[in-house]
Amino acid sequence: MMNLTVNGKKAAIDGKDAVNIPALLTELKVEQPDYVTVELNGDILERENFETTLVKDGDSVEFLYFMGGGGR
Amino acid sequence: MTGTARKFSFDTLLVHGGSEPGPGGATTVPIVQSSSFAHKTAEELEDIFRGRKLGQVYTRVGNPTTESLEKRLALLDGGIAAIATASGMAAITTAVLAIVRSGDEILASSSLFGGTFSLFRDTLSNYGIKTAFVNPTDLAAVRGAINERTRLIFVETIGNPKMDVPDIHELSAIAGEAGVPLMVDATVTTPYLARGADLRADIVVHSTSKFINGTGSTIGGAIVDLGRFNWQSGKYPHFAPFFSKYRGFAFTARVRKLMHKDFGACPAPMNSFLLSEGIETLALRMERHCANALGLARFLKGHARVGWVNYPGLEDSPCHGVAKRLYGGRFGGVLTFGLADKAEAFRFINGLVLARNLANIGDAKTLVIHPASTICSDFGPEEKGLMGVKEEMVRVSVGIETIDDIIEDFDTALNNL
Repeated sequence: MMNLTVNGKKAAIDGKDAVNIPALLTELKVEQPDYVTVELNGDILERENFETTLVKDGDSVEFLYFMGGGGR
Repeated sequence: MTGTARKFSFDTLLVHGGSEPGPGGATTVPIVQSSSFAHKTAEELEDIFRGRKLGQVYTRVGNPTTESLEKRLALLDGGIAAIATASGMAAITTAVLAIVRSGDEILASSSLFGGTFSLFRDTLSNYGIKTAFVNPTDLAAVRGAINERTRLIFVETIGNPKMDVPDIHELSAIAGEAGVPLMVDATVTTPYLARGADLRADIVVHSTSKFINGTGSTIGGAIVDLGRFNWQSGKYPHFAPFFSKYRGFAFTARVRKLMHKDFGACPAPMNSFLLSEGIETLALRMERHCANALGLARFLKGHARVGWVNYPGLEDSPCHGVAKRLYGGRFGGVLTFGLADKAEAFRFINGLVLARNLANIGDAKTLVIHPASTICSDFGPEEKGLMGVKEEMVRVSVGIETIDDIIEDFDTALNNL
């Protein structure tokens, strides 16, 4: 089991020690995965490195979109 | 049909691309006529504002109906994202001002649509942004006009109303060598004649009011990011915070999170719906527009009262070769032709029965206008010369009626001169 911090909240993934970014996006049902920016332990990941980057127990992940906000 | 849509042909994407079934199985995009969107908790709204979660907040910056349109527009041009705006001019203003700042220069085609020419020459110059206008078909002149302050190259796929056709592939290469983005106004060609990705543009803008809407019912615009340009450049330090977070989406992020949000030129949800409806029939309409325009151009060329015809589809047009290569043997639905003088052009327009005399292009109906006295009347002889506007000139946006009826209307008006 992996314990992660996702967007500031605790999250757990059962049955795996590590997952790559596409698997993580699927596992966590992240919306519009083609548009999301992924930050792993404070570093923005290049999209071409999504397949080869592994997320492990204790990591902190942020998903960021450029669409939200702006109302008043 | 989002997610799996890319494997379908272009014409199928027009009908299905970017769309999801609506409530109760509705097959058209729901019109979400709401200014703002409520969320259950303060934390949820905070997450949306921080970009951690997707969600609608306020229609000025996003709306479900508009978002559906934006997905379709991005898909059609082969872009990574699109932003729909209230008008084509709003799209140009928002996209250009996302890139250039006071002290920067734009290198633009000298044969631009009058509204864009005015924006660059008169309005942006008041904010310290200078524009150098060059003939976009003269590649040596384009290369020679680039200087250390140039931050953007802006051209139209087919100049309106000059009907010149710059070689966008060559301009893309020139822009790439200079390290500046190429922005292309593809209103006259639409993604049906050439996708922005295939043109090798960095950003495409459209007045969706024209052929994309197709019925003269709606004003709208679009900015499409092709995701080709590297914004991590010393020329664009204002992109650094967007590049550091959003990488390949830096341009779209800067437009959406800053310029579009601040300028507020958002489309009404009803207009986004009407534009989505128009997209579905774009292929059929463009085929007819192009065929009718070629038929009318050939007819006018053979008429004794017509002095000249300017349409890239005519084989003796100086732009025929480039247009044929870039646009796959289709040449758009707009042409111009010359009569003896302004008075004769007026008499001709007044003698038409079918064609409407108005300031628009891309309607299903055939439209005519005398540009020199209307859409270009604010410009002096020098500017009119650059734009290819002549006193004896009539511009025609050839509609999708039966070509025999269009020709008969024109033939009658010409013979009554």
